[in-house]
Amino acid sequence: MGLNGKERRVAVTGMGVVSCLGTGVEKFWAAIKAGENGIKPIEGFPLMDLYISIGGEVRDFDPRVHCITKPLLLADRYSQYAGAAALQAVQQSGLETPFKNGERAASIVGSGAGGLATLEKAYEDLFIHKKKATHPLTLLRTIGSSAAAHVSIDHGIRGPVFGTVSACSTAAHAIGLAFQMIRSGAVDIAVAGAGEAAITYGSMRAWQAMRVLSPDGCFPFAKRRNGTVLGEGAGILVLEDLEHARARGATILAELCGFGMTSDAADMVNPDIEGPTRAMQIALADARLSPGDIDYLNAHGTATTANDINETRAIRKVFGPHANRLSVSSTKSMHGHCLGAGGGVEAVVCVQAMREGFVPATIGFDEPGQGCDLDYTPNEGRKREIGYTMSNSFAFGGLNVVFGPAPN
Amino acid sequence: MDDVAEKIIAILRKNMRDPNKEITLDTKLTDLDIESLDLAVIVFDIEDTFGIQIPYNANEEVQDFATVSSVVDRVKAVLAGSHTSNAA
Repeated sequence: MGLNGKERRVAVTGMGVVSCLGTGVEKFWAAIKAGENGIKPIEGFPLMDLYISIGGEVRDFDPRVHCITKPLLLADRYSQYAGAAALQAVQQSGLETPFKNGERAASIVGSGAGGLATLEKAYEDLFIHKKKATHPLTLLRTIGSSAAAHVSIDHGIRGPVFGTVSACSTAAHAIGLAFQMIRSGAVDIAVAGAGEAAITYGSMRAWQAMRVLSPDGCFPFAKRRNGTVLGEGAGILVLEDLEHARARGATILAELCGFGMTSDAADMVNPDIEGPTRAMQIALADARLSPGDIDYLNAHGTATTANDINETRAIRKVFGPHANRLSVSSTKSMHGHCLGAGGGVEAVVCVQAMREGFVPATIGFDEPGQGCDLDYTPNEGRKREIGYTMSNSFAFGGLNVVFGPAPN
Repeated sequence: MDDVAEKIIAILRKNMRDPNKEITLDTKLTDLDIESLDLAVIVFDIEDTFGIQIPYNANEEVQDFATVSSVVDRVKAVLAGSHTSNAA
């Protein structure tokens, strides 16, 4: 409840993105609209014996251009991606840096894995090269809270500052918590989302060993899908109390109106239909919407056998007959699975889709996979007037988060 | 039962909650309560034991790993392939 006893509403006033489709919302969205595939052979490090050799690597990122502060230049890539996306979002919001009332602002910026490249380099130095010491910034670069801390330092955010950790639901949890904190009156402004930079040799070996990556590409819901493809980057929103945003004359990009989080409490890798179903239902109830109000759903859609069937069933269960009129897509087909950052990148997609009345495609779609019977917007995006949207993020461990950006 | 099959069954037992269950070549892995994540661990163990690499994908090769004999056949095929490539 707000200070006057009324529940506060939450506006999105800024967005930032770093991805294999480009750095900055404009470039990213142009690529999404064009149905571009950002998944390519990995070039960032020697592949050696890896037999999975594709990924959605960020290719146009220059820390000297995209990160303005010196501390961030010394950070791990995951923090730099988050910091750069946060900077874009804050600039779009029109808020002055440092924030005038930083005590009333939050930085909730997570990461699924933290500074993996830094840690791998440190261990290589110690165990292979027998160096006497690690790089002195190894610890600060590695910890999973460093992105949140950097964002707070860059913008003078002096209220709640922390990261979330929930694998592929990390950014969605961060955005959802920020939403609740603004709605409850705990803060007026929040910079929220996640950064991820987990395309490293050691991480790729670990993913390869789980046997869930595709050697060919990310083809969500399609018959030919055979696993997911790792992406990287960051997706960050500036959320703000709607009245606060209006009072300063900010451009309101969207309203965030509902949030649901659940857990399957069942299995580390095999998803359950009940958890995602409840998460979507809670988000709808939280937003006081009915299933028929949602026009576009950005699916978790990882292109694994198990997720895509399970998610389809859960969507059918929640949306009933309206499921046939719902536009669904998985933009992971273009930007890869950005893991912890996925929910942030996909939140940007939802807001842009709504603002421009354009449903992005699921590219690489040959024919529907068995049990995949929704309208996944195959191969070509299309114009559609979009009222409310929904974004799904599900994670290892059965952790499900759903939130709903709405038109202003 | 040959050496490869015996080694594979020993690996299966090591990764089963109840290692005393009866295992024959026709036994289905699901009857041994072996699930997808267990299978990733088992394939890792097999690769380590035999010094081979099996590019197993949990999304599409479930049938190749349905029964004990299908696992044994797959490993033998990889072993034969690796010997051929060494000779070439």
